[in-house]
Amino acid sequence: MSNVTASTRATVPVWAWALVALAFAALYLITQENGSLVGATAAEYIHEFTHDARHALGVPCH
Amino acid sequence: MRSASPATEMGIGYLLRRGLAAGAAAGALAAVFFYLVLEPVVRRALVIEEARGNADGGGHSHEEPLVSRSMQVFGGIVTVTVAGLLFGLVFAVVYAWSRNRLPGGSDFGRAVVLAGLGFMVFTLLPGLRIPANPPAVGDPESVTRRTLIYVLTILVGLLIVLALFALDRALADRGYDVPRRAALAVAGAVVGLTLLFLLVPGSPDGIPADMPADILWDLRVASLAMLGLLWTVLGVGFGLLLSPRTRTAAAAEPAVAG
Repeated sequence: MSNVTASTRATVPVWAWALVALAFAALYLITQENGSLVGATAAEYIHEFTHDARHALGVPCH
Repeated sequence: MRSASPATEMGIGYLLRRGLAAGAAAGALAAVFFYLVLEPVVRRALVIEEARGNADGGGHSHEEPLVSRSMQVFGGIVTVTVAGLLFGLVFAVVYAWSRNRLPGGSDFGRAVVLAGLGFMVFTLLPGLRIPANPPAVGDPESVTRRTLIYVLTILVGLLIVLALFALDRALADRGYDVPRRAALAVAGAVVGLTLLFLLVPGSPDGIPADMPADILWDLRVASLAMLGLLWTVLGVGFGLLLSPRTRTAAAAEPAVAG
């Protein structure tokens, strides 16, 4: 029955949490980056390229 | 008896592959919704922004676009898809971590419960406290403050969920039955959410007078719908990808017993 699987657990290695941190860094880059991590020109390009998605995803944007 | 534990089959790599697959599907479907439903609303708002720029004497930065309009639409599709993929990655790891504590009875049920929690914490709460805005709304001066409110809302929501799970475990250890624990969890959620809305401030921005209410409404509803679609496909897709294994194991059980 279901309690057979309920007692088992996939262990989460450190590298998996590192992947999660990387995913959040990537999400920051596409939803928030406005010049604090990359150069101003690159940041403006990222902002304009992801502009419509930022509005659609509901993250604060300019 | 079954000697092989399902955990050996459900390692982190197994979950990550399924999380990425479900996330890609969720992102792609959300991107279709974005193109069909959200882009037209964004375009309506850009007309307002342009009219404002012309009234100011054309001093707006959109005069000489760094990225063309069609490239922005393409960029939006790519960004929404990539966001779905990243959600899927995080979802798989959090699922591996929280699987034993999630209610739902099966892997499918647990995946849907986790997606529901994710929708509430990462979409609905910030969507209510600091709603999405179309272009031509939003004061560039206050973007840092709005981002802090956005992140704070998500963190407090996360804290509420973790606190409720800890409360439930403490009550279970004390022998409380399920109905009483469920009632107390609902009461705790009401208290937590009330505190969130009392303590975390709303958006400092007003809505400009030239922004029609229907554009604002359409964009906010469409944004919530797109993210709701994304979470639904992610949770249901991830759950379905885990289900064949569970079903095969259940089907194999009588044969092993006999």
